[in-house]
Amino acid sequence: MIYFDNAATSWPKPDAVRYALNDYFGNAGGNPGRSGHRMSIAAARIVEETREAVAQLFHANDPSRIIFTHNGTNALNIAIYGLSLGAGDHIITTCVEHNSVMRPLRHLESLGVECSTIASTRDGVLDLDHASRLFRSSTKLIVTTHASNVTGTIMPIPDLSTLARKHGVPYLVDSCQTAGSVPIDLNKLDVDMFAFTGHKGLMGPTGTGGLYIRDGLSLAPLIRGGTGSASAMEVQPEFLPDAQESGTPNVAGLAGLHAGVRFLSGLGLEQVAQHERALVSRFIDRAATIPGVSLYGTKDVAQRCGIVSFNVDGATPSEVCLMLDESFSIMARPGLHCAPATHRGMGTFPMGTSRFSFGWFNTADEIDASISAVREIAAWAANKVAPGA
Amino acid sequence: MGSEQSGAWGMMDGLISFFGSYHAMRAETMLSRSGFVAKLVPGPKELSPNCGVAVRFEYRQRENVLELLAAKKVQIEAVHHYVPRTDGWKK
Repeated sequence: MIYFDNAATSWPKPDAVRYALNDYFGNAGGNPGRSGHRMSIAAARIVEETREAVAQLFHANDPSRIIFTHNGTNALNIAIYGLSLGAGDHIITTCVEHNSVMRPLRHLESLGVECSTIASTRDGVLDLDHASRLFRSSTKLIVTTHASNVTGTIMPIPDLSTLARKHGVPYLVDSCQTAGSVPIDLNKLDVDMFAFTGHKGLMGPTGTGGLYIRDGLSLAPLIRGGTGSASAMEVQPEFLPDAQESGTPNVAGLAGLHAGVRFLSGLGLEQVAQHERALVSRFIDRAATIPGVSLYGTKDVAQRCGIVSFNVDGATPSEVCLMLDESFSIMARPGLHCAPATHRGMGTFPMGTSRFSFGWFNTADEIDASISAVREIAAWAANKVAPGA
Repeated sequence: MGSEQSGAWGMMDGLISFFGSYHAMRAETMLSRSGFVAKLVPGPKELSPNCGVAVRFEYRQRENVLELLAAKKVQIEAVHHYVPRTDGWKK
């Protein structure tokens, strides 16, 4: 079996991730920070060691500025709604965002917030001149993905952060497709908020994610409740991480996330990024020679993460991915990938594309096997000859 | 608490209370890594209702301890000294 759906969730996970969950259920078991007995302290230690490991991976100086969430979408909602924007305020975003950003923004629009979209080329490369013209005195937020979940094109975060600084506007980055597979240095990136998911590149279990909030920036909590702290008060504590972490956290999931992050720290993110770029490069070089196959995204592999989108003339993405699964045991994702505007920009709406997303555990041999499969499917689509015949 | 004043506990006659467990956990980790004697304990409720866990430490080290915690951006609620004669914590 070949798993090319790491942008949906990574598979397999390192063995240490499963062992960490087993260890939590067998040995730690308590509710972190609530009770003070040794099992409660053991659970709290898991949460805080994970926070420190994530902070180190992203080069964040103060782990308390990283809050844990249930996934990337949860983190993005906390960031977007936490600024308490309303009628007359203005937000800038891109035309390649995932619905985890676009749906909160469209909802805010219904409340009177105005949104502007930075234009891009057909390959998904942003027009920075256009971006610089979108700022207004009422602009209160700029939010962009770090890399498109459809094309893998990486956004120019340093340029956008310079623009955001110049206009004094908070900048939120969605790193769901890059955290764990592209080196990230929050000391240098100069962003205000940075949302990540735990179950993709970071190799943790589903139900984990988080948000980095720059020192000095305060967000209104989306959820309020018990934190195991300031228990005498019936108002939400204001200090991080407690202000944004109400309710019992996903301790088992965070134990697994810690194991995933340790695995990545051992490899080094530059090595992971190089591996994924090599796989992307191998795929697009070979796929470009197949008649009837169209490729999307920038040709500059240095500006891509481990995602490729393609179409086959004469076959829909759903047909292609069904054949890949049933005839070739290759797991891929067809359709719009929760990013309709990206597909409108590429001219692939509403059918979408077939997407391969590679991870650390994929190999060059698997790329070559997928090329043979796509070649057969393209021949079938051109001549209606059944694959494998 | 009297019996705890012997052995290793006897050295840890200071206690730091916190607003939340993140800061308590990080305090213990940072102090231990820097060679200080430190241990997480259930927070005495007569001192503070704020956090489930507190950190015991050597009270005579308090200046160095507080300096380190401030440098690591650990937020503390209060520092308390154990007074054996009254068998209770000095508020």
